[in-house]
Amino acid sequence: MMQPFDWLVQEYLPQLLDSFFNPQKRVSIGYLLIALLIAICWSVWVRNECSFKGLKKVCRSLFSPKIWFSKSALSDYKLMFINRAIMMLISPAMLSKLAAATFFYFLFIEVFQNTPAILETWPLWMAPVLYTVFLFLFDDFSRFFVHRCLHRWPLLWAFHKIHHTAETLTPFTVYRTHPIEGIIFGLRATFVQAVSISLFVSLFGKNIDLVEIFGVNFLLFIFNVTGSNLRHSHVSIRYPRILEHILISPAQHQVHHSIDPQHHDCNYGAAFAIWDLFGKSLKLSQKSHNLRFGIIDDYKFREHTLKELYLNPFVEVRTLLSRLI
Amino acid sequence: MIKNKLIGVAAIAALVIGCTVSETSGPALAGPDVYGKFPVTLKGYKGSKTNTVSYTGQMARQVLHDSIKKLAGKGNGKPNPALKAEMMSYYSSKAKGRAIVAPKSKGKFVIKQTHVDQISKKKNLSGKTYKGTISGMPNNMTGPELIKFWIDKASSAKKGVDTANGYNYPQLISKFMLGAIFYNQAVDNYLDEKMSAKKKPNNKPYKKGKHYTGKEHSWDEAFGYFGMPAHGLTLSPKQLYSIAKRKDKAMTYADRNGDGKVDLYREMVFGPAYYAAGADKKGKTTYAKTITKAFLDGRKLITSAKGAKLSNAQRAALLKYAAIIEKNWEQTLAEATFKYAGSCFNDLKKLKKSQSSKNLKKYIKHWGELKGFSLALQTGRKKLGETGTRLNRLIGFGPVLMNSSQVVDINSKGQYVKGQSSGIDEYMVHMLKVQKLMVDEFGVKARMKDALSGLGAMVKKLGKGNSAEND
Repeated sequence: MMQPFDWLVQEYLPQLLDSFFNPQKRVSIGYLLIALLIAICWSVWVRNECSFKGLKKVCRSLFSPKIWFSKSALSDYKLMFINRAIMMLISPAMLSKLAAATFFYFLFIEVFQNTPAILETWPLWMAPVLYTVFLFLFDDFSRFFVHRCLHRWPLLWAFHKIHHTAETLTPFTVYRTHPIEGIIFGLRATFVQAVSISLFVSLFGKNIDLVEIFGVNFLLFIFNVTGSNLRHSHVSIRYPRILEHILISPAQHQVHHSIDPQHHDCNYGAAFAIWDLFGKSLKLSQKSHNLRFGIIDDYKFREHTLKELYLNPFVEVRTLLSRLI
Repeated sequence: MIKNKLIGVAAIAALVIGCTVSETSGPALAGPDVYGKFPVTLKGYKGSKTNTVSYTGQMARQVLHDSIKKLAGKGNGKPNPALKAEMMSYYSSKAKGRAIVAPKSKGKFVIKQTHVDQISKKKNLSGKTYKGTISGMPNNMTGPELIKFWIDKASSAKKGVDTANGYNYPQLISKFMLGAIFYNQAVDNYLDEKMSAKKKPNNKPYKKGKHYTGKEHSWDEAFGYFGMPAHGLTLSPKQLYSIAKRKDKAMTYADRNGDGKVDLYREMVFGPAYYAAGADKKGKTTYAKTITKAFLDGRKLITSAKGAKLSNAQRAALLKYAAIIEKNWEQTLAEATFKYAGSCFNDLKKLKKSQSSKNLKKYIKHWGELKGFSLALQTGRKKLGETGTRLNRLIGFGPVLMNSSQVVDINSKGQYVKGQSSGIDEYMVHMLKVQKLMVDEFGVKARMKDALSGLGAMVKKLGKGNSAEND
């Protein structure tokens, strides 16, 4: 049995640091720096302030203590540290991806009439390309779908609203999550990866591989280097209207976080907007948008205390269930 | 000056130690990590013996097994009663003068013994073969009946291989014996019944006139069935593996007592230990070390009782060591089953591309190993029940051949009856299912020839998801 201090040093801290140095993670240092560069360029261009003084002004607004040291942001950081530990303790008990992949593999083999690797003779480049694209699309769709459910089902919304109680947005708001939602997203990832891997191994055998840049799915890499971290920020980068029908811009995700009831239940997508387009939940960004973030009934979360953030969802679920019964 | 004196003293000390060692080969083999020697603890013993460790009978049986395997590959394709009789002499007779057919000296790897009797006399294998019925083959044959059936078939098959039906008899016989004799005797007899409170007590000699106690010798015999050299714990899996392969370089670490020869009794690696080490070579498991250490610790525990009857606490501790041995031994058999199911899967893939006789022979060889090990796995103390049934159904009575034919029965004349299977592709899936079964039921870790390694590698590549994040 590992002692708490040993666990902290040998397990927790390395994994925590991994989040900032592993290019598979959205908040890794490289992506954050690129996002900063994009944010500066965008702000300078939008405000038309090309002077050194203007640049200073932009930086001051980007690094405003009102954003980074607000009660909301401080609670993001706390949740990030605590949730990491909780998930590390929970994850061994969760269904392993390998077990799930093996289960789906045999399912697919039966579907394909007991013929393993039926497409193994296809050109070698085809399996990695198809697999990489499929994995990214399926992963993105599943994020949209789960996210939509989290908003539309009251029992799930009770937990997801923790994320929406953020009144200031920073890239670390991505970790402002209730552990129950963390589990749901973990299961989603297990399902998506297990199905994708097993489907392609059953079709292409050992020929499958990931098309990568720095060990990351190249599409995910593109998503991250093009400013995915700015989705949770006060930098309202908008895309041309036509593009916002295909890809979700940071500004569109900020609309999703808006407190304004007109903006509720829209833009669930992560990378692609097409899912929202088909699901009739797409909302384009507008220049005139002056957004306030948070939720309407935030009096329960006003202080952003850990007690509020971790326990209120359970209280709400109990109330909902008692109403049902 | 002082330095020179010290060197002189060290040289004299080394000389004295060297002389002591050369008097008997025992002390060189002694050490905290060596199985033996252990002193006489039997109360009232007045003889001159000083070492109670003895498992020569078991090592003789390891040699009998190796010899039969070698002989099984000597057929010329025609009925050969002389060859059959020779094989049977190693299997069921206790005749004097049987030469060791295998293992023999090879290059610089010089083996001390040339005859079975030099290790132990009057030993056979039939008396120690699992007597239960073997449900993985037709006609409910018992262990000895199945081995005799295969010996008969091997004697008339060319180099022991029947390509028409898909049987490689040396592999079938050998791998089945590893379970039906060595594994079964160790875990279902010596480490089970003979570790009970009533049988072979520690305060009495094993047999009248013997200098070792009931428990000491029972434990030693189980160790002998594992086929590990006495100093096995000091060797790496790769070293153990190369000893079994009789490689030139292995001579240096096999020859523990430095007499220039490998003693088959104390210094050789045989089947069960070889397969444990083979799995461990991948670095994911420590079967050989774990089993050997449990044997050694158990033996130390028995010795610590100083010839008294074991207390309940001592026996409970001993049974824990026995359980470790049993579990790890079972896993080595499951690992081998896993490995050869993967080999068969790969062979079938190759055969689909090219039906060369080389590819076919390889497939038949691997299938023999798969079948032998899968049956061996079912000869332990625990009955596998549904797992055994599934394993036997997935593998079948014979391999599926390229025309989709497969042996489905053996008639009253001992001839194979063939039927049409559902085809190569489905049989390949069966091989994958065998691997999955070994993972699910036995928790195999080494997973050599993992036909589904693509799944594991890709899961690893996509990384862990221990963080709670969303959008």
